[in-house]
Amino acid sequence: MKTLLITGANRGLGFDFTRRMAETGWHIHACCRAPAQADGLQALAAKHDVTIHALDVADFGQIDALKTKLGDEPIDVLFNNAGIMETSQRTLSLDHTNQMFDSLDEDEWMAVMRVNTMAPLRMCEVFVDNVAASDRKQILMMSSIVGSIGSNQTPRWYHYGTSKTALNMVMRNLAADLKDRGISVVSLHPGWTQTDMGGPTAALSIDESVGGLFKVVETLTPNDSGRFIAWNGDDVPW
Amino acid sequence: MPTILITGASRGIGLESARQYAADGWTVLACCRTPDTASELKAIGGVSVHALDVTDIAAVDGFARSVNQPIDVLMNNAGQNMRPPRGLGDMDYAAWSDLFAVNTLAPFKMIEAFQDHLRRSDRKIVLNVSSVMGSIADTSGGHVAYRSTKAALNMVTKVLAGDLAGDGIIVFSIHPGWVRTDMGGPSAAISPEQSAAGMKKVVESAGAGASGRFFDWDGHTIAW
Repeated sequence: MKTLLITGANRGLGFDFTRRMAETGWHIHACCRAPAQADGLQALAAKHDVTIHALDVADFGQIDALKTKLGDEPIDVLFNNAGIMETSQRTLSLDHTNQMFDSLDEDEWMAVMRVNTMAPLRMCEVFVDNVAASDRKQILMMSSIVGSIGSNQTPRWYHYGTSKTALNMVMRNLAADLKDRGISVVSLHPGWTQTDMGGPTAALSIDESVGGLFKVVETLTPNDSGRFIAWNGDDVPW
Repeated sequence: MPTILITGASRGIGLESARQYAADGWTVLACCRTPDTASELKAIGGVSVHALDVTDIAAVDGFARSVNQPIDVLMNNAGQNMRPPRGLGDMDYAAWSDLFAVNTLAPFKMIEAFQDHLRRSDRKIVLNVSSVMGSIADTSGGHVAYRSTKAALNMVTKVLAGDLAGDGIIVFSIHPGWVRTDMGGPSAAISPEQSAAGMKKVVESAGAGASGRFFDWDGHTIAW
C-alpha cells in the first residue's frame, strides 16, 4: 500500500489529484481547511481509502497536531498543493489589482508568502522522516509558471509570483539537502487551469492538467529531483 | 550633476558606493537606520545622510515626500542575512518573514515611493542588490531563507522591468560579488572598492536592454 499526504485536497487540482490516486488504491491523508464543507472529498472518502484532516497550513500548530495523529506512518508522496492567490479568496478575476505595482500591501504579501512558501517548508520539516521511511520518498510542490522568472508569460502579480519563485528556491534547497536520504523533491506547474483560481476562461480543463500531472508523478525518478516540471512533462524555466 | 539614492549606506558595499559616487561629483542621498553611529558615512564630503529603516513603509513614504530632486539612480542595497542560517529542522519563520520584509518587499516599496523621482531624472536606473545565492539554477543546499528572499527579489526585478518599461525606467538585479564586508566575511574574494567600482560601471553602461536582467558585479549575466 502506498500513502499520499496532500494539502488543499478539497477542490480544484488537489481534489482531482486526490480522486485519481484514491481510485488507483492509494491510502490518502487528504487535508483541507474546512472538512465539513468538503462534500466531494467526503463522497470520495465514503468509497475509498481516504482520511480527511482539517488543516490550515498557515497555522503551524495544526501541522504539528497532524503529525501527532499520523505518528511515524510512512508517507510515500507528500504533496504540498495548498496555495492561495490572495487571502480574500475572491473568485478569480485576472485583474488582481491588489497585488500589482503601486499598491503594496505588506500584510497581504506576507500572508501569501506564509501559505505558498513557508508552509511547504514547515510541512517538510514535520514530515520528512515519514517520507524517508517510505518506498517512493517523493515531495511535490505545487508551483506555477507565474513564479518563473525566466518565462515571458509572467503576469504582474507580485505576491503570488514571488511566493512561487521563493517556493522553487525552497524546493531546490530541499532537493540538495535531502538527496542523501534518497528523497526526491520537485516543483510542478499545472498549466493555466479552469479552477476557482484559474477561472472559467483558462486554457486547460482540470482533467487535462491533473491527467498530465498524474503521469508526471507516476514516472518520477530520483534523477528528476530539483526539476520544475509542467503538467505536460516539459521543464519550466526558473 | 546626477543624483543617486543608496539604502544601507552606513557600511560595506553601500558605504563604498556612496564614497565613489561622491568622489565623481554625484549628489548622494545616503540612507541608513542609525546615522548617529554612521561615522564613516558622515565623514564623506558632499553626502547627505538620512535616517531610514526601509521596512518602515510610512517612513519610506515620508522620506520620498521630503525629497524634491529627481533621482537618477536608486540603489536598493540594504539587505540582511539570517544569522545563524537556519533550514530544514530549525527554521525560524518569524526571522524568515523579517528577511522577506527587508530583502524583497522593501526594494519594491522604495521603487513605488520613488517612481516619480526616477521618471523625472535623466538616467532612470534602479539596481536591486541581489545575490548569486538567489540564483535558483545554481542552488546547492543551505541558506534557504536568504536564498528565497533574493530569488523573490529577482522576480520583483523581472516584473517591475515590464511594468516600468513604458516610463523608460531600467530595473535590474545585481550580484555584488563575494565581498569582504560584515556580511561576506574577511576571507571573501573581492574588496568593497572592487565591487562598488564594478557595479558603478554596470550602471554607467546600462541601457534599456539591461532592464529585467541579473548581472554579476563585473557585468556578466547570472542565470535565474
